[in-house]
Amino acid sequence: MAQFEVSSRQGFGVAERLLRLDWFLVVLVCTVGAVGIGMLISASGGATEPWASRQMVWFGAGLLLMLGVSLIDIGFWLRAAYTIYVLAFALLVGVELLGAAGKGAQRWIDLGVIQLQPSELMKIALILALARYFHGVPLEGIGRIRTYLLPLLMIVAPAALILRQPDLGTALLLALGGAIMLFLAGLKAWKIGVAVVLALGSGPVVWQFLHEYQRARILTFFNPEADPLGAGYHILQSKIALGSGGLFGKGYLQGTQSHLNFLPEKQTDFIFTMMAEELGFFGVAGVLLLYLGIATYGVVISARSNNHFGRLLGMGITVTFFFHVFFNVAMVIGLIPIVGLPLPLISYGGSAMLSLMLGLGLLLCVGVHRDVVITRRPGSAG
Amino acid sequence: MRDLATRRWWRRGSTSRREDAAAQAQPALLERARGRLLVTGVIFLLCFGALVVRTLDVAVIGAPVDISTAGDASAFDPAARADIVDRHGVLLASNLPTHALYVEPGKIFDREEAVAALGRLFPDLDPERTASLIASGKKSALLRHDLTPEQAHSINRLGIPGLWLERQEQRVYPQGRLFAHAVGFTDVDNRGLAGVEKAADAELRRRAEAHSGPLALSLDIRVQHALAQALQDTMTAHRALGAAGMVMDVETGELLALVSLPSFDPKAPDRSPAETLFNRATLGTYELGSTFKPFTVAAALDLGIAGIEDSYDATEPIRVSRYLIRDHHPENRWLTVPEILIHSSNIGAARMAVEVGAERQRTFLDALGMFERMPLETSERGRPLAPRRWSEHTTMTVSYGHGLAVTPLHLLANYAALVNGGIAVTPTLLKREPGEQMVQRRVISAETSAVMRMLLYAVVAEGTGKNAAVPGYLVGGKTGTAEKAIGGRYKRDSMITNFVGVFPIDRPRYAVLTMMDEPKGTKETYGFATAGWTAAPVAGAVIERIAPLLGVPAIVEPDETEEEPAFARWDGAGRHASY
Repeated sequence: MAQFEVSSRQGFGVAERLLRLDWFLVVLVCTVGAVGIGMLISASGGATEPWASRQMVWFGAGLLLMLGVSLIDIGFWLRAAYTIYVLAFALLVGVELLGAAGKGAQRWIDLGVIQLQPSELMKIALILALARYFHGVPLEGIGRIRTYLLPLLMIVAPAALILRQPDLGTALLLALGGAIMLFLAGLKAWKIGVAVVLALGSGPVVWQFLHEYQRARILTFFNPEADPLGAGYHILQSKIALGSGGLFGKGYLQGTQSHLNFLPEKQTDFIFTMMAEELGFFGVAGVLLLYLGIATYGVVISARSNNHFGRLLGMGITVTFFFHVFFNVAMVIGLIPIVGLPLPLISYGGSAMLSLMLGLGLLLCVGVHRDVVITRRPGSAG
Repeated sequence: MRDLATRRWWRRGSTSRREDAAAQAQPALLERARGRLLVTGVIFLLCFGALVVRTLDVAVIGAPVDISTAGDASAFDPAARADIVDRHGVLLASNLPTHALYVEPGKIFDREEAVAALGRLFPDLDPERTASLIASGKKSALLRHDLTPEQAHSINRLGIPGLWLERQEQRVYPQGRLFAHAVGFTDVDNRGLAGVEKAADAELRRRAEAHSGPLALSLDIRVQHALAQALQDTMTAHRALGAAGMVMDVETGELLALVSLPSFDPKAPDRSPAETLFNRATLGTYELGSTFKPFTVAAALDLGIAGIEDSYDATEPIRVSRYLIRDHHPENRWLTVPEILIHSSNIGAARMAVEVGAERQRTFLDALGMFERMPLETSERGRPLAPRRWSEHTTMTVSYGHGLAVTPLHLLANYAALVNGGIAVTPTLLKREPGEQMVQRRVISAETSAVMRMLLYAVVAEGTGKNAAVPGYLVGGKTGTAEKAIGGRYKRDSMITNFVGVFPIDRPRYAVLTMMDEPKGTKETYGFATAGWTAAPVAGAVIERIAPLLGVPAIVEPDETEEEPAFARWDGAGRHASY
């Protein structure tokens, strides 16, 4: 098979790569992870069981994965992009066919040690695949609609499968991440406008495909007080907990709303609420600043990259990561309906943690290989 | 189509024209790519800003949610209804948080599962009724009231959509039946239905909202208890249908106790017989009998029609048209004014009333409020029954408490005015602030009031009220025994007996009213069931218990008081030299 030409100005040993690693980003990620572990300790009332200890293991594993991924040559990721995408898509179909049903949703494949969630993997795989695709698109192809047909299919197919699981949050994230990739690749703004209009127009159609509970969530979002103990329960409790935190919070381990079990899913999707209650507005704003810091790093790394693949990959990862945060926080504070996404690096859960670390590893990898120039297409020359 | 793979325009170092074109396009494209990167960055910042602003809004500024709608015990809003306490802060009514369970049939996915789950949680719930409720087309239906926190938790844990809980306040009455008629009760939605709960409904809500603390009543649990116990004992002993009693501060009109028996459980008023809910003290109107005579005497004295030493002919019954007015303890002689009260002479009272005249009698009674509902912070207030035509016969019968039916509260409030120096009091169940200004409305002169105190003392010291005497205290009062009018006729053996006592009578502070509904005679009372035997002793027992509690000093030698020689002088007949 033809190879991409990957050239760099310097010799590229592991030591060199370690030097070029954005260690400050690693520190940021570790800080957020530590905050997460702290919050999980609080969620279990000051104990490391049952959540914090396992989260530590996952975070450690994720950290190793991240560093490992970042040190691998970016050419490898370019070559493997489609393979990874196809693998992730196959797993997604596999879940559809034989996945174990958990929480009423088919999302998991039980691998014994860890339950793999293919939709998590797909988030990264889609970005990889799209980055590779647009990396290879010739300049004059960028203006053509035809160029975007395959990427659109690459986005819609897994998103539809994930929506069927049903996992509205991840499907949305996938679609949004993909759409922004198209935007970054250079799709004309007016075409994006048309797409948005079409998407909005398809709302009623999508509505038909939504599950009863998903519709209830969207309806409840607009008026949570109408059903305070039903579908509005999450939002209301969450708002109460937020409100009870105030500017400075009740103090670590002091959150009553969360500890008295009024707050559902406090260790996963709604951990932000518990943070707000215990650490207050300033604590929460601090955590958001950490996230913003990571996102800023992502943008900077992407902008500095000298290859299109790296730029797209880095930005795609950054966008996905940031909107992951945004969706979670926004739903918790009642800006958008509940879509069911964990808070990256903080919420309890191994699968999401590993996929995010994989993504951040790729981002670091882009940073490490920022000076590498890659040809647009695999070819014989070079 | 062109074969891209063979053109190799993408190769670095290529000098084809296409490459040049691409190179020219490159800056523009790069510019756009950078721009888009920047746009994405700006979107990040905007999103971040939105998150921060919204968090600030929710966490700090907004606090938009009414906490009472949420299922959180720690941030529990005390009540939508203020507590009620007695004058010393003892809790009479309070709230417990509970939940009501509703079902919204339209939202239930699996009806059978829901019925089964509810059946497990509430074994006493009829599954068929539950099933039919769920199968009904109703939008929502109440399944159950007063869930314990544990039950509410279990419901939430079921996680069945369509079952929802509503926070409720359950009103509780720590003192049980003791204050049932005074405090009243609420319905399941905590709306006041009776007593203070109803009369002060809006106030109780306002207080809860303003967090201005509990509503303090004028009642005193110690006095209430003493009164209730004494009434209950006598009621039982004399097999009376019912009893009522009140203790009032004669200066302020504050009620320290209000009892109506039989009582009921304010937590479950619907499970008590209907007649127990009836408040005899403030709602029941009765012809109260001889306890009215002091009003007749006071009117005559105050108008200057009679003097204390005047005498009236009570040698024989008076016949007015087809009625015969006679005495129950006939002396068959002329009686002085004090003697008319001491012996409770109907004839004497009637003759005095005739001298006063119908018009002035009505005006006087009107000034006392005897024709209107007596103000009080309760929903149970009886309207007096007065004859439409006020004939001479009416004048005579009303003089000794027949023909005009009023509530015991009317009687008590006006006794307060008779003895407190002649100022009308407005009865109240609410604690008055010390130094609170009250409207001063004079109904009799201070001199008349002073005389009335001495007359009432004489009744207890020597007359029909002897059984109300309490060692160490100067008690004044008057008995009243009236036959109940049943079906338009007076029944001899169905009596309302009552007594109003005032202590200490030389410097009145409190008035006690006791009433028995149809008491029967006992061996101990020699078969008598009149007020002197069934109402006066209750008042005596109550005064004996509460006077020390209320800080009324006992007098070691009652003979040395000022009133004593003065009173001996009035005793025209000179037959009662011993007191």
